[in-house]
Amino acid sequence: MAAKDSPLKQFEIDPISNIEFGGYNISFTNSSFAMLITVLVITLFLTLTVNTRSIIPSRMQLISELMYNFIAQLLSDTVGDNGKRYFPFVFSLFMFVLIGNMVGMVPYQFTFTSHIIVTFALAAVVFIGVTILGFINHGIKFFTFFYIPGVPFYMHPLLIPIEVISYLSRPISLSVRLFANMLAGHTLLKVFAGFVVSMPFFTGVFPLAFIVALTGLEILIAFLQAYVFAILTCLYINDAYHLH
Amino acid sequence: MPQLNPEFFVSQLFWLAVFFTFLFVFLWRVSLPRIATVLEKRQNKIDENLSSAKELQEQAMEIEKKINDQINKAKLETDEKIKETINALQEDVSSQLSSLDKDLEKKVSDAEKEILKSKDDQMKNINNEIVNITKLTVGKITDIELSDNELNKVIETQKGSFN
Repeated sequence: MAAKDSPLKQFEIDPISNIEFGGYNISFTNSSFAMLITVLVITLFLTLTVNTRSIIPSRMQLISELMYNFIAQLLSDTVGDNGKRYFPFVFSLFMFVLIGNMVGMVPYQFTFTSHIIVTFALAAVVFIGVTILGFINHGIKFFTFFYIPGVPFYMHPLLIPIEVISYLSRPISLSVRLFANMLAGHTLLKVFAGFVVSMPFFTGVFPLAFIVALTGLEILIAFLQAYVFAILTCLYINDAYHLH
Repeated sequence: MPQLNPEFFVSQLFWLAVFFTFLFVFLWRVSLPRIATVLEKRQNKIDENLSSAKELQEQAMEIEKKINDQINKAKLETDEKIKETINALQEDVSSQLSSLDKDLEKKVSDAEKEILKSKDDQMKNINNEIVNITKLTVGKITDIELSDNELNKVIETQKGSFN
């Protein structure tokens, strides 16, 4: 398959304006543009819809309030009262991933959440933040997080390394889950889009119908992955408060 | 795979940091407090309305109780008045009845007296007539002049056989 027809071509980064700073390439790219659109959509929506501050909300204001309550409920369910302090962060994370995924569903629009470096950076922020939080709350006792009480003593040499590895792999699983879902979904859409063009006569409608169905599924996944990202962040914050 | 090309890693991280930090600060400082105020305002309004509704309900119940009390009081008063009126009427009727009875009794006794008196008068008249008739009859038959006193004596002695 020629490079220009590759289903992975959609993930290529094109610089819009080349910027270099201190020897590093920090060009403003199509990925940066998608992030800009995402941030604009979120900030404008959340600001303009709540502008009137009506007691009886308009439909748009209701959407903002629903999102607010959705994440607030999520945090209070998983972390409890301690979670209120992290609400702005978890909410920003959820909205950034959600709208980033949704912006990616617009045809010809770049999906920055399909880049492992982006998702890994977000997951690393969560991981490092939660680890610091754990040490702030429990000091050196945070290491007992890896010790599971109530199992036979001879199991500990086996279980403690497993716990450490699973803890260290959290940012990887968190980032790869989002990245792989986005990559797979968009690649699949592109492959079937190729079928629509290449199949003879009118048989191209079958892959087209499949694309329509798949688009619905992808929108669901876009929401689901943002939700999973947010809820796992909440669970990790909870772990930093409550050891085993 | 373009994702693994490190050419734009720094650019991606840089712009991600810029935009995500901006988003976080903006939401934290501007958007979320706004939504929170709206939600709080609404909750306050709801609480206020609920409490005023409760107050009004209590007031309504108080008024209802007052009305019921007044109705009960009025009922009792009416019952009392009805009883009083009935008692007064009964007393009135019974006093009138008794005075009527007295009147009637008096009239009956007066009439009886009159009847007795007229009976006595009649009896006297009858006596006189008997005396006269007897005097005439005896005079005609025997030519004996009887005095009234003698005749009366005879009649008095014979009276038992009349009656």
